[in-house]
Amino acid sequence: MGNGTEEDYNFVFKVVLIGESGVGKTNLLSRFTRNEFSHDSRTTIGVEFSTRTVMLGTAAVKAQIWDTAGLERYRAITSAYYRGAVGALLVFDLTKHQTYAVVERWLKELYDHAEATIVVMLVGNKSDLSQAREVPTEEARMFAENNGLLFLETSALDSTNVELAFETVLKEIFAKVSKQRQNSIRTNAIALGSAQAGQEPGPGEKRACCISL
Amino acid sequence: MAKSNGENGPRAPAAGDSLSGTRESLAQGPDAATTDELSSLGSDSEANGFAERRIDKFGFIVGSQGAEGALEEVPLEVLRQRESKWLDMLNNWDKWMAKKHKKIRLRCQKGIPPSLRGRAWQYLSGGKVKLQQNPGKFDELDMSPGDPKWLDVIERDLHRQFPFHEMFVSRGGHGQQDLFRVLKAYTLYRPEEGYCQAQAPIAAVLLMHMPAEQAFWCLVQICEKYLPGYYSEKLEAIQLDGEILFSLLQKVSPVAHKHLSRQKIDPLLYMTEWFMCAFSRTLPWSSVLRVWDMFFCEGVKIIFRVGLVLLKHALGSPEKVKACQGQYETIERLRSLSPKIMQEAFLVQEVVELPVTERQIEREHLIQLRRWQETRGELQCCSPPRLHGAKAILDAEPGPRPALQPSPSIRLPPDVPLPGSKAKPKPPKQAQKEQRKQMKARGQLEKPPAPNQAMVVAAAGDACPPQHVPLKDSGPQDSAPQDSAPQVSAHHRSQESLTSQESEDTYL
Repeated sequence: MGNGTEEDYNFVFKVVLIGESGVGKTNLLSRFTRNEFSHDSRTTIGVEFSTRTVMLGTAAVKAQIWDTAGLERYRAITSAYYRGAVGALLVFDLTKHQTYAVVERWLKELYDHAEATIVVMLVGNKSDLSQAREVPTEEARMFAENNGLLFLETSALDSTNVELAFETVLKEIFAKVSKQRQNSIRTNAIALGSAQAGQEPGPGEKRACCISL
Repeated sequence: MAKSNGENGPRAPAAGDSLSGTRESLAQGPDAATTDELSSLGSDSEANGFAERRIDKFGFIVGSQGAEGALEEVPLEVLRQRESKWLDMLNNWDKWMAKKHKKIRLRCQKGIPPSLRGRAWQYLSGGKVKLQQNPGKFDELDMSPGDPKWLDVIERDLHRQFPFHEMFVSRGGHGQQDLFRVLKAYTLYRPEEGYCQAQAPIAAVLLMHMPAEQAFWCLVQICEKYLPGYYSEKLEAIQLDGEILFSLLQKVSPVAHKHLSRQKIDPLLYMTEWFMCAFSRTLPWSSVLRVWDMFFCEGVKIIFRVGLVLLKHALGSPEKVKACQGQYETIERLRSLSPKIMQEAFLVQEVVELPVTERQIEREHLIQLRRWQETRGELQCCSPPRLHGAKAILDAEPGPRPALQPSPSIRLPPDVPLPGSKAKPKPPKQAQKEQRKQMKARGQLEKPPAPNQAMVVAAAGDACPPQHVPLKDSGPQDSAPQDSAPQVSAHHRSQESLTSQESEDTYL
């Protein structure tokens, strides 16, 4: 996979960013993968993605983060988007209660399209705008707990918890993967039932496993 | 990555909180808000401290999407000749469309002169006719309160369209205001459609070339005639077009088609932004404008052809495909296309020569529609059939209507020679001053000229509201005659009439 200049990695984890339009998905992506933030990043129309390779223990994990439009009507074209995703960050804007109120709808959408074992973190973004908060931390935390979701508040603008959010999700995925490997004999890429197979490593290259849980 | 900090992981951060020092893009930092509030005063770009940044000829901050030193500039005499020809066409639009549409198409392929682009787009798209048919409608929509649900979403998008273009860089600036007005008006005009985010870049491109009211009607034409269903509820049209594109690719580039097939890459993963934004977010700006010139004339087949050309040149050979061994790498390749294949001259040539026709698209459309019905049931949103370009749109217009009258904003005195002619012209400013003096004396500032009066040379941008010219002359001085061609060309001589055998300039 990749050309000669790509770093080696053992795993590829596909993580999707979901949530209402304007909550900060694109900036979370750019902050994590390129350490960039823009007040005027373009409205996402199609699909954007970016990658970053991180070390989890001794394993090099390539996080493939996918980003798409949050607007309601784009829900019609997102099944390709979810395919093969092992992690998700469900993002809301903690200064706009409306974006939190629809979180359950997003969860449903997620579980309709992705595997039930997908690792999900609820992310309350824009924590830098403390004066404008509309969603109490405890309320969101309770919701996450009751629904088996991880939870963090982040700020893509000042970087608070962005690394931690992605790292936590990746670690959780990794833990599940490790467990699965212990439970199974083969260590090749495991395909999801009828869904398409994960990516195959190129000939002669370091084997990478695109893991589906 | 707290644990991995000490290690020199491939791209792990060196230290725990070392991700400080925001490397912001060209947009301003967290304190930008206050500066932005001043932005409606004076020049937007200066108020925002952009004075030191260079702006290219399209209005983009140099280094962003604008052309970076366009390789080919049209020579000035050629440009002036083309302007002449276009003025002639615009002044006699109905006749040209009826009898010489192929010539119009050819000229669109060569590129519309920048000074006339905004006007030409309005004529080609039928936006001008729509405006004439609906006087006061836009104002009515503009003054109505919109649905708060849509307004909320639109507002979130205003600063996210072409933020590196000086027209849209200022929050609350005129560009963003007009964008809001146009998008809001559409949600009121078509409440069942509402707002779709991809309409914003489309509207923004239009606003770069014409005022809000005109831009609104061109947007209407795009949403209803050129790309019906693209922005509607279920986004079914774009899904169908994705399948059509992929299907057409098989003949155009079997190698690319096979690769995308093998990698199981859904067309929506690469063509959504291309098609929904008509490539305005993908190509260098000079190429965007050339594509739009052709698109307004010939319709969606241009969009398909551009997509096919890009796919063919990005993935159309074994060597190229070898470098994209995975799904991710392939999509990445399609998102960072080689500048060479997007370059204006190359791209236009390829598009013009690609033998993909409307008929093929329509045929494929039926096939994909059937497939959809078999696998997914009936379409939920029934869009009207799309019209393949300016001629189709014009032909579909019901009933007779008053001929399009030019509504220029600058007139020349009778003895001013036109560009391209041998005589030395008067300096433009002087000519204008003289003209205004004459016109003031005649008290005729707003009326079109009588036939024996000075000929008309339109300035860039047909910003005046159309004149409602009565079909019958109520007096010799009153209105320009319906059949103004003969008298017109007496003064405004381009090198051809409607029937002449012209030698078109051979410049690309």
